[in-house]
Amino acid sequence: MGVVRENWRIFLLIVVLLGSLFALFSPTMAQDGADAPGLASSGATNLQYGLQLSGGTRIRAPLVGVTATSVEFGETQPPQVEQDVAGQLDGVTVADVIVRQQTQTTGTVEVTVDGVTPEQLGTALDSAGYTYENTREGVTAETRSQTVDILSNKINEAGLSGGTVQQIQTPTGENYVLIEVPDENRQRVVNLVNQRGNVRVDAYYPTDGGYDRETVLERDDFQSIGNAQQGGEGQLPHVPVVVRESVAADFQQRMVQTGVASQGGSRCRYETAPNSTDPCLLLVVDGQVVNSFGMSPGLAAGMRSGDWAQDPRFILQTQNFSEARQVAINLRAGALPAPLDIGPDGEGTSSFIAPSQGQSFRTDSLLTGIIAVFAVAGVVFLRYGEVEVALPMIVTALSEVVILLGFAAGIGYPLDLSVIAGFIAVIGTGVDDLIIIADEVMAEGDVNSRRVFQSRFKKAFWVIGAAAATTIIAMSPLAVLSLGDLQGFAIFTILGVLVGVLLTRPAYGDILRALLTR
Amino acid sequence: MVAFEVPEIDYTRYTNRQLAAVPLAVLAVALLIIGGWYVATGAPVNPGLDFTGGAELRVAVDAPDGQAREQIQQAFDPNPATIRSVPSDDTYILTFQTEEVGVSTLEEQARAAGFEVQSSYTVSPSFGSRTQLLALGGVAFAFFGMSALVFLMFRTFVPSIAVVISAFSDIVIPVALMNVLGIQLTLGTVAALLMIIGYSVDSDILLNNHILRRSGGFYESTHRAMRTGVTMTLTSLAAMLVMTIVATLFGIQLLAAIGTVLVFGLTTDLMNTYMLNLSLLRWYKYEGVGN
Repeated sequence: MGVVRENWRIFLLIVVLLGSLFALFSPTMAQDGADAPGLASSGATNLQYGLQLSGGTRIRAPLVGVTATSVEFGETQPPQVEQDVAGQLDGVTVADVIVRQQTQTTGTVEVTVDGVTPEQLGTALDSAGYTYENTREGVTAETRSQTVDILSNKINEAGLSGGTVQQIQTPTGENYVLIEVPDENRQRVVNLVNQRGNVRVDAYYPTDGGYDRETVLERDDFQSIGNAQQGGEGQLPHVPVVVRESVAADFQQRMVQTGVASQGGSRCRYETAPNSTDPCLLLVVDGQVVNSFGMSPGLAAGMRSGDWAQDPRFILQTQNFSEARQVAINLRAGALPAPLDIGPDGEGTSSFIAPSQGQSFRTDSLLTGIIAVFAVAGVVFLRYGEVEVALPMIVTALSEVVILLGFAAGIGYPLDLSVIAGFIAVIGTGVDDLIIIADEVMAEGDVNSRRVFQSRFKKAFWVIGAAAATTIIAMSPLAVLSLGDLQGFAIFTILGVLVGVLLTRPAYGDILRALLTR
Repeated sequence: MVAFEVPEIDYTRYTNRQLAAVPLAVLAVALLIIGGWYVATGAPVNPGLDFTGGAELRVAVDAPDGQAREQIQQAFDPNPATIRSVPSDDTYILTFQTEEVGVSTLEEQARAAGFEVQSSYTVSPSFGSRTQLLALGGVAFAFFGMSALVFLMFRTFVPSIAVVISAFSDIVIPVALMNVLGIQLTLGTVAALLMIIGYSVDSDILLNNHILRRSGGFYESTHRAMRTGVTMTLTSLAAMLVMTIVATLFGIQLLAAIGTVLVFGLTTDLMNTYMLNLSLLRWYKYEGVGN
């Protein structure tokens, strides 16, 4: 029993080490690699790798928009308010204005389009006759979480497995949306998330003085949205949809009235002859007409007889398959309430690492770390010339890294280059402190009694504690500030210092005592 | 095995003034360089992509020796601001400091020229300038936090200020060296500057602790502190030197940047601790304390 009590620090270290190894290698601890969001599991260990070491795309951007708070609507209903505000601003449509009621008569007004300043929103509200408390950059929390939900839907619908979308807030109060998609090309992700995804169907039909355009179907009017179809056999790529029963009759009537469902169907020539074509249906995505089509005689007959509304199936034709897929994703996921501020003059950052590059970063950084350890070991051996002192030193320092790796695997923290840099820093500071202990303990002749050892060890520990405290202070800004990739570096350096001071360095002291006071 | 010993320096041969003169002169030169840089370029250091905004591409170019750079110059409009080759594989790291062209366009240009895009990274200018502010604040917080901690630990003015001045110089001299050698300030180098605060103070604390709190003569304590402290700094230096070289060969910029700046910082720290800090301590011990 005495052995255990005297060397409890060593035993504690061994227990923690075993725990770490368990977290690292045990299959029971493995998180399901495919399902773990934004991460790729490595196979042999339970470590999760971040995008830098596995490849993929990361986009970090704020949402575009300005907000007015505590706007007094009075008796006016939100849709009317949206129209009034949109009417006062150039280049802003009703779809870009979001009114959220907080009480019966007040609420927030957001304009989510690029190029509108808070001042302009204020002026627009003034001219529309609404009073407000103040206007600011940014959107409301509701809009943010809605956007995040829709973005995740989009990424899931597009089949980008393992992609994640989350909100992050910097300590200075800025809000960002962070999108991470493993193994995916930057361009594809940007194309996907950059689209607002507002899909609607307009009727385009001749009137007395020319042609008129009117929205006949919107996203909410669909009961179900099928998978995009390749088409073939004379059929264009398309998305099969079912229109809601509640609006089917209305839609059917509009089709007949506008002449889209005329006797014998309609042939659309919107693209070539917009001024002399039959009535058309236009598929509009984010205000752009992506395709125009007429109606087949059979469908037109069904609408005219009123039978169609009993089984209101419909197809949305597109020019090509990828467009059909895009339309299906947008319809299912919904339109983003506010766009992401990416692009050349945006506020966002984006990064892409090819999977092959991530792989080589992984092996290369591992190699770099190992070589750094050898460099440290070399200096230590040269300096002490005693294997008894030097070897435990290296082993102890490495055990710190094992504990940290186990910790990372246990909580599923994704390893990135910055975390690896943190590990190397940990080995550096760890060995430094072990040198302090060794020198202090072995100073002035032999350590013959336990009491002498204890007092010297305590003295050494004062310096180590002081040094650890300064390192933690120095690193803490990086750990809390969201300075991009460096958070991992700071967190693991701080953790390493803590593990060192509380666990490994006391254990090294015990090892050294056992070796020197035999 | 051949054990090396940290050489014992006979400090009695030098006066405090002589000892302090060298590091102070170097510090003055470094401050002059940084000041000059500020006057000439409007910024004390060359801010990198993280802070100015811009784009960075890593492309694999399949071209015979010597022609790759030419091909790259032709492929992109605008031309890349810098082209760096990665020795371990045939890739090139290109940076573009432009706001007009998005990284998507650059990626397309690269693919059109037959290059394989290994990675791309883009930061918007407004985001960059905010990051710069945060980073600056972070370094300032770290420095003042460390200073406060040192004063709390030693509770005497001269030894504390000696540590703080040494740490200040340990940061300033690497920054000046970065300017001279054309190394840009990136998130990696900011991390390294913060690490310097953590690393460099260790040996200063050790020295102060040995001289102020232990029995034994000044020179004996100094020698013991040096034996430990120099070994510590040398191991860290070895690790960082090796990391810098290997990471540069592999083209892992983050690790290379951290390594380079830490090598500067640790080397500077050797000088500052055992010349500047030591001379201040000796003055304090023999003349400053009224005994």
